Amino acid sequence: MTVTARTEAAVEQRPRYRSRATLATGFVILAGALAVVCFFSITMGARGVGLSTIWKAFTDYNASDASETVIRELRVPRTLIGIFAGAALGLSGAILQGVTRNPLADPGIMGINAGAATAIVFAIMVLGTQSVSMYVWFAFVGAGVATVTVYGLASFGREGATPVKLALAGAAVTAILSSITSAIVMTNVSALNELRFWQVGSLAGRYFPVFWQTLPFLVLGLVLALGTGRALNGLALGEDLALALGQRVRLTRILMFVTVAILCGASTAAVGPIVFVGLLVPHLARMICGPDYRWILSYSLLLTPIVLLVADIIGRLAVSPGELQVGVVLGVIGAPFFILLVRYRNLAEL
Amino acid sequence: MKLLLLSSVAAALVLAGCGSSSDSASEASAGEGWSYESGDGKTYTADSTPKRIIAQGEAAAALISFGIKPVAIYSNDPIETNKSLKDLDLSGIKILSETYGQIDAETAAGLKPDLIVSSYWPLEKAYGGFESGVDDSAKKVQKLADVVGPAEGDSVETKLEGYEELAISLGADPAGGTIAADKATFQTAVERFKATVASKEGLTSLAVSPSEDLLYVAVPSEASELSDFERWGLDIMDPDSPDPDFAYWENLSWENADKYQPDFLLMDDRDAANSQKIADGQPTWQNIKAVKAGAVVPWPAYWIHTYKDYAAQLDELSDSIESIDPNLT
Amino acid sequence: MTETLSVPLVRSGRMQRRRHSTVVTAVLAIITFCLFVLTMMVGSYFVSPVAVMGSLLGLRDDATADFIVKDLRLPTATAALAVGVAMGISGIVFQKLLGNPLASPDFVGVSSGASLFAVSAIVLFNASSAMISGSALVGALLTALIIYLLAWRDGITGYRFILIGIAVSEFMLSIVGYVISRAELYEAREAMTWLTGSVGQSGSGELRTLLVALVILVPVALVLERPLRTLELGDDTAKALGSRVEVNRVALIALSIVLIGFSVAVAGPIMFVALIAGPIAGRLTGPQGGVLAAGLVGAIIVLGADLVAAQVLPTSLPTGVVTGIIGAPYLIWLLATVNREGRGG
Repeated sequence: MTVTARTEAAVEQRPRYRSRATLATGFVILAGALAVVCFFSITMGARGVGLSTIWKAFTDYNASDASETVIRELRVPRTLIGIFAGAALGLSGAILQGVTRNPLADPGIMGINAGAATAIVFAIMVLGTQSVSMYVWFAFVGAGVATVTVYGLASFGREGATPVKLALAGAAVTAILSSITSAIVMTNVSALNELRFWQVGSLAGRYFPVFWQTLPFLVLGLVLALGTGRALNGLALGEDLALALGQRVRLTRILMFVTVAILCGASTAAVGPIVFVGLLVPHLARMICGPDYRWILSYSLLLTPIVLLVADIIGRLAVSPGELQVGVVLGVIGAPFFILLVRYRNLAEL
Repeated sequence: MKLLLLSSVAAALVLAGCGSSSDSASEASAGEGWSYESGDGKTYTADSTPKRIIAQGEAAAALISFGIKPVAIYSNDPIETNKSLKDLDLSGIKILSETYGQIDAETAAGLKPDLIVSSYWPLEKAYGGFESGVDDSAKKVQKLADVVGPAEGDSVETKLEGYEELAISLGADPAGGTIAADKATFQTAVERFKATVASKEGLTSLAVSPSEDLLYVAVPSEASELSDFERWGLDIMDPDSPDPDFAYWENLSWENADKYQPDFLLMDDRDAANSQKIADGQPTWQNIKAVKAGAVVPWPAYWIHTYKDYAAQLDELSDSIESIDPNLT
Repeated sequence: MTETLSVPLVRSGRMQRRRHSTVVTAVLAIITFCLFVLTMMVGSYFVSPVAVMGSLLGLRDDATADFIVKDLRLPTATAALAVGVAMGISGIVFQKLLGNPLASPDFVGVSSGASLFAVSAIVLFNASSAMISGSALVGALLTALIIYLLAWRDGITGYRFILIGIAVSEFMLSIVGYVISRAELYEAREAMTWLTGSVGQSGSGELRTLLVALVILVPVALVLERPLRTLELGDDTAKALGSRVEVNRVALIALSIVLIGFSVAVAGPIMFVALIAGPIAGRLTGPQGGVLAAGLVGAIIVLGADLVAAQVLPTSLPTGVVTGIIGAPYLIWLLATVNREGRGG
């Protein structure tokens, strides 16, 4: 591309300036939207439950009433997990895209999903554990180990973990882990069965035990993540400039990867590998609020749970009295949406 | 030089690709020898009675109970955990597989089989072990010999009779061994079951299989033992919207676990400990009155292939049903 | 070197290199053939090489041995050979065209796209083998197009292309996960085996399509080898040398995509073969070596991996498991030699 053409393109890409007031208002509106979606998530589902029953479930709980059990023991934890896992996915997607400067980065590249999958089938094969609340720990550890390995491999050499080296290391680690996973599931039918449903990503079957197990990590990760906004803005300027501005690039990068590992490890352990939201929502957020990462992170925090819960609700209603997993719904909606997004908006140079 | 190399490689490839497959064994001409009308509706014949038989796990159990010993067995799961096979004497029989979908085709070929025996599944239009989705090498085993077997259908009794007919055609002695005794025990067990059920007026039941995501409710007409139970007087609830893609079950969200309220539950016993763990972990499991009352009974799902096993299972069911309260719902 | 580089000296150097590469290629071909026969010799029953040839040529009368060799082992061996050659050639063409050792069709997602379409065809539409090959090809073409469109602003020779390719690959594979979850257990198992990549699994229809494609396209690749080398010098130089740049480039990319599309239809996306065959062949034959050598190296890798996966390990595993484990260290080695701006490797 010639110099003039490139300059013109850059000018067109100049981010629109949004005032802080506008963005803050938007944030509040989003929070309201999230509340509304949560309301729907609790009131809608495969089973029709009246509003008065829902009110009663919270104020005067009768454990032997089936509908009230559904509300308190099924839909509430499901909604809560959806909120936290969604936030985790959105934030880690935004951070990864920022730190690797790859607009298409997602935790899968870092080997997180592969690490969790391998740990899970290993647990099933060796220990016979078979329900989500039991292999949550394995998934989390597996994801963490994979991320550390990827980052460690990519850091060899003078430049440390550049985007290309990270992608390579991620691909290599994913390859080895997938091979191991395949080897295990080929010989163990229960592992196969468990894995293929887990792989889709679902909020069904996740109740309070899973929620309490993953909550501490999710909260820790969210707190860390929200603090990285300024550092991400620095990195977006380019490494050399960031260094010149006094940012401790290497340390920041490590911190960000640790945050991503915690967030994604926990959410993948809880709900399985859900890919699209982490990839798409940060772009949406950027479209709305411009390139300042502090705002992108804040918006992703709210936007992702909204998307996730809406998809989950659709999944509960579409084939009642059965259910469609949230991963399937996201796949069906997400793919064309992704293509639309790419077509109508040149992916920003990060 | 390169072109020469190239053309020889190409020639080798074409030769290999065109290698014709062997024609199938034993669709021999009609006449004496042996013939059997199999579960898929076709009649298979051979010049002489087949002696070297490869049998699918449960089918092998059936044959063995009638005195016919196969030369090899392929099983869907490890022999020690397979309910039909674990108590049998399998000495001298080669095990070709302990995983669903795989069969050691080379060893199978080396055994030079005359016949392969397996139950026929009408819904999938295939014999057990050769459905779409098994490994390619497993599918090729079908070329070694004809595959025959009675159909899995409306009744285990009819299926057992089909196996008896097959075994006799293969040379079993109808009066020999424990066949007569097993059949007598079976008849007694059936009578006891009928009486027990009749004594509980208004008894209703539901057959389920719990999984992490969904509660599966069985369609009785698609499970042969359930159809038998219904014929003998047990009322099994029929789900009203079975899965169109896989009509053996209706898929219920756990939110709707209490859609059907029977007096007792028949729970799929193929992986009993695990099913129980999964069910217990579901908050809405307790919304089913029968669960609260402890009225959950193991259901021998799809695996019964011998009179002996059937009698034993029926007796256990009768024992359980005796303590059930028919007026729960 | 102080003596003048006279023309005869230069020419004899080139001829020496060419001879060297021809010899190496011939040796590779012999090794390939030996592995091909070896694959048919081993298994639960050992069959001697003579017996193998006898069965293949129809000279013997042993029904059991014939069944084992021709029905069970021959399709696998042929698939391994064909897929290896196709992937090797596809890989080296891609890598040379894009000037980057990482730009391999299986790495940048073309084979993932092919898998997605093929698995969908298998699971959702219960497709015939022609449809499976066709779907895989469509998938490969579409994915290549998507990656190209996403990356074109930077040109296809940058690292951004690789990054985007990896991301698209992830993407495709995750959609495949959704497809599998909709399948019944037995279909899911079939689909997952398929996805790991295994040469033992194809129907004869897909294999025949690949063989036909090979018979047609390998000669084409050889013919285009010279233009390919010219293109490596850069567009301007190539044009100056009289080469028809655009036509050749399109033809080569199309050839590469067709080969990998049909390979995926036969054996699933066997990882890393396309990535490492070219560089290995290059190292063995020197700069005069080319496309055929890469194809043969690819065949050797797949045949070898299949032997290991099927025989050496305690339970029989898909071929892709072994190639995945081989390829990963190579990627890591590439990591060490990659630098940020230039072309690595």
